[in-house]
Amino acid sequence: MKEEFLKKWQMGLQIYRPLIDNTSVSERRKAIKLSADVAMASLRKGTTCWSRALIQKTATEDNFLVRQMLSGIKAETLINKKLPKVMCHRKIVRRSKKILRRRQSRSAIEEVAAKARKLVKKKTQGLRNVVPGGEFMSNDVLLIQETLDYIVSLQTQVNVMRSIVDAAEAGSERTAYYLGKLKFAIEDG
Amino acid sequence: MDLSGRFGARSGNGVPFREVTGLESLHLGGGDEFRQMVLPENGGGFTALLELPPTRAVELLHSSSSSSSQATLHSVGTLTFPSNPILMERAARFSVIATEQNPNGNISGETTTSSVPSNEHIKTEPAETETSDQAAVEKQNNRCGKRKDFDKKVNSSTKKKSKSSEENEKLPYVHVRARRGQATDSHSLAERARREKINARMKLLQELVPGCDKIQGTALVLDEIINHVQSLQRQVEMLSMRLASVNPRIDFNLDTILASENGSLMDGSFNGTTMQLAWPHQVMETEQSYHHRQLQQPPPQQWPFDGLNQPVWGREENQDHGNDHNSLMVGSASLHPNQVKMEL
Repeated sequence: MKEEFLKKWQMGLQIYRPLIDNTSVSERRKAIKLSADVAMASLRKGTTCWSRALIQKTATEDNFLVRQMLSGIKAETLINKKLPKVMCHRKIVRRSKKILRRRQSRSAIEEVAAKARKLVKKKTQGLRNVVPGGEFMSNDVLLIQETLDYIVSLQTQVNVMRSIVDAAEAGSERTAYYLGKLKFAIEDG
Repeated sequence: MDLSGRFGARSGNGVPFREVTGLESLHLGGGDEFRQMVLPENGGGFTALLELPPTRAVELLHSSSSSSSQATLHSVGTLTFPSNPILMERAARFSVIATEQNPNGNISGETTTSSVPSNEHIKTEPAETETSDQAAVEKQNNRCGKRKDFDKKVNSSTKKKSKSSEENEKLPYVHVRARRGQATDSHSLAERARREKINARMKLLQELVPGCDKIQGTALVLDEIINHVQSLQRQVEMLSMRLASVNPRIDFNLDTILASENGSLMDGSFNGTTMQLAWPHQVMETEQSYHHRQLQQPPPQQWPFDGLNQPVWGREENQDHGNDHNSLMVGSASLHPNQVKMEL
């Protein structure tokens, strides 16, 4: 899993390099992040909802990169898959539910249960906001499944990136240190 | 990873998960309901078989004379999760397996449906399919498909508590059996099935997210999950920022990484000539005039002390000793001539 992600990510970064001569840090960061995201999402090959949504999102930001990456890994079809669902208009739904519920019994137990349910609904909505493509998941079961998969993928992504960053920084630290020493020595001598 | 394509109902094949025995399903915590579902001896209680294949009929033969199994309940792979083996194992725990595994053909609906006598209960109902398209369809199916034939026969071969059962059509349905004293109309049954599914998955999530086991209550668990996801996303951003700022050039050697993936990592291959490893040199290079180099070429003369590089890489090696890809990159760079240079 990790190796595949690494491979794809490197492919993406490779593609990116000749395209743009990234000089600013923010551009590079964006490039790195986007390519990592696309690599991670492409690992799922369109089987999961969040992966498709993630690719769509990065496509809106940098269509070219996404296309290049996907062509590199021979998965161009991913960019076209799109969930057919329309987002629920939650306000409308809420209002209609309120109207329906106007004459419900107000026993204490029910109120507590209702509040608990409301809270849970709020949280699931929050989860939908976080998980890419969450709004398109119509039922909670799907949402939780996608969340599971998404968390696992995020964890591998973080692990891979962290190890690379650690290695890179270790290297650069040393060299920066030695460079400083060298400069110092030169200045002195 | 060959299961990577099987998420959701697309392939309609829950094969790998059926291997999970009833024992594993015992690990499913949860309430008594679950346990009753799980234990093969009971066979009764609430059984919500989460069936993925959307188009196939699942048949449960409840009589002991059934050719496939003696149990009443089938194991059903719940979700064909994508290829994570950990997830597989965990998701396999979901499968409400009450009995020995029926052969796979059973779930694919090829078993003898026609030969089943009328008093046997054959339930086929689709579980929630993961595809959102099918969600609406299957909800309708749930409602209209479940006949309200409440057969009061209790299967003698199993000690069931249920008082009712439903006949089914040859459609993938959730097999739901009402427990004693519970409402048996289709709506509440469907709701209960759904709730059980959600609870099962929440359990998985709780295991995944650290620190969620101790929390009681769905809302707080969801809170934790949201926080975890957000923190992971933030970490990705931070790491990409660090990576972007730390070195303008990264050399990656794809071929060698692939090649040496399974091999052991280099130990002493770090001599000066082979220490063409990208990073320290490149950081240097950006400071001076930058020029492309093949990795085998000796480093520019600014770094006369190769010995210094060794401790660098030694340190890195120690750091990343357990880390596959890192050591791969380090190793690969030193080993192979083919490189793909990459800058950032």
